Amino acid sequence: MRRAISAEWVKLWSVRSTWWCLMGAAALMVLASVTVAAALGSHNGQPRTERLAATEPVVSAAIFAQFALVALAMLVVTSEYSSGGIRVALQATPIRGRLLAAKALVVAPVMFVTGVVSGAVGAVLTYVLLRMEPFRAPVTLAAGETVGDLVRLGAFCALVGVLTVGAGAALRSAAGTLTVVFLLMMGLPLLIMMTGAPALIDASMRLPMFAGLAFMESVENMTGGPMPYAAGEGLAWLLVWTAAALAAGYVVLRRRDA
Amino acid sequence: MITLRGLTKRYGARTAVDDLTLEVRPGAVTGFLGPNGAGKSTTMRMILGLDRPDAGTALVGGRPYQKIENPLRTVGALLDARAVHPGRSARAHLLALARSNGIGRARVGEVLEIVGMDRAAGRRAGALSLGMSQRLGIAAALLGDPAVLMFDEPVNGLDPDGVRWIRRLMRGLADEGRTVFVSSHLMSEMQLTADHLVVIGRGKLIVDAPLGEVVAASAVRIRSPHAGDLAVRLRAAGVEVSRTGESQLVATGASTERIGDLAHEAGIRLHELSAQEASLEQAFHELTADSTEYGSRV
Ligand SMILES: Nc1ncnc2c1ncn2[C@@H]1O[C@H](COP(=O)(O)OP(=O)(O)OP(=O)(O)O)[C@@H](O)[C@H]1O
Ligand SMILES: [Mg+2]
Repeated sequence: MRRAISAEWVKLWSVRSTWWCLMGAAALMVLASVTVAAALGSHNGQPRTERLAATEPVVSAAIFAQFALVALAMLVVTSEYSSGGIRVALQATPIRGRLLAAKALVVAPVMFVTGVVSGAVGAVLTYVLLRMEPFRAPVTLAAGETVGDLVRLGAFCALVGVLTVGAGAALRSAAGTLTVVFLLMMGLPLLIMMTGAPALIDASMRLPMFAGLAFMESVENMTGGPMPYAAGEGLAWLLVWTAAALAAGYVVLRRRDA
Repeated sequence: MITLRGLTKRYGARTAVDDLTLEVRPGAVTGFLGPNGAGKSTTMRMILGLDRPDAGTALVGGRPYQKIENPLRTVGALLDARAVHPGRSARAHLLALARSNGIGRARVGEVLEIVGMDRAAGRRAGALSLGMSQRLGIAAALLGDPAVLMFDEPVNGLDPDGVRWIRRLMRGLADEGRTVFVSSHLMSEMQLTADHLVVIGRGKLIVDAPLGEVVAASAVRIRSPHAGDLAVRLRAAGVEVSRTGESQLVATGASTERIGDLAHEAGIRLHELSAQEASLEQAFHELTADSTEYGSRV
């Protein structure tokens, strides 16, 4: 297992697309954080008076920035199929579950670190921005709270990455994987919200996007308020989705010819 | 040593590999021949555990591929030279493979040198010529210093120098006592490299014999004014005969002596009775004439 991970690590850092995706993710995270911060910093032109954690805009930003990370995690699997390299990889590591696990275990920490670092930059910029004119908002950047929020953000990114690895192994094509992950992480929840049907919306709250928002304790987001369940339950749902995607990937990898 | 027992693979209604049983021995180059679509690549993929057989087993050194720890140290294979991420350098590709099987970094430099790629090692795989890709694939196969080597059409895309280089390489590997299993659809190529031949057509085993035997299994040419009658007599005696002209026959599976005796018993005059030194190319054509999947019937 250690050897398979080491090989995946070499593979990850020896292609340029990895760097592009990581830079894209970091840039998106920071830009979106600042944009959301500016939006939350005032109410209808009036300065904001309620307290705001500097990490709050970062959580909403992550919902956008995650797709650069999804692209990276997807390429770890689908580029093997588009190049035919999967056959070489399976010659070296013929136990299919081991190869899939190695990919997931390499993707997860990279996603985690990217999420934490870019989230930290986003939070600090949010803090600085909202302290300035014209906002002068009561924004906070308390050490304990911030670290907890950033760790949860990193964990969210890591789980989305692993979910994407699973989906990639199940679907094999880049287009298919991107479509399915986008639908789960954004398209479907937003579509359902637009229908306005309460029963549907209630059910959709368990989709990984909303589960992620709950896990990261987002209070001000596109649903218009805090999520209807606790952070722990959000994490549980996220884990369920991730496990399901990995299981699907594993079954396809085991059953189908490479 | 590679052992196949009743190996079978179906794609829908088509049987790509049909009940293949054979043994590929160490210390020799075994040529794996068959026309396009005969099932050579499919067989190799099953040996490597990439495709799941519908029936039968494929063992390498007595074990299924998945049961081999660090398999690159036991089996080196080149299936498709282009199967490398185009953006990854040759060296990084080999380094990742080395890491996956606990092979030292120094070995990467060694195999790059063996295949004459040490100066192109930093180039992106996508920027390599087909010949260079082929060399990179061979470097990957040699990486773990394996006892068993498999090459799927390794001379494709190589210039004459490259072809000679591969021939010498395979010869050398076999002389070191390794098992070398190499596929080709070119009989002429195998005539120069192989010690042993396995010929398949439409997934079925046709020949599994030393090279010499395949060449020697030559046809007998017969001319007779009563070719038609003679053909009937020979067939009745179990000899395979085909009529190649008004007064000409070609018989296989019987010696000139036997055919002469049979003709004499039937009282049929012969104008010619000669054993043909069939080239391997001809032998191959005859062997696979009934099993060519694609291509024209002339
Ligand atoms: N993944 C697949 N799905 C469906 N049919 C396949 C698949 N792979 C191979 N086949 C079919 O199986 C048969 C054997 O193919 P294979 O590639 O093994 O032949 P080959 O002997 O390697 O031929 P070539 O000399 O052209 O490389 C062919 O009829 C091919 O069309
Ligand atoms: Mg082939």
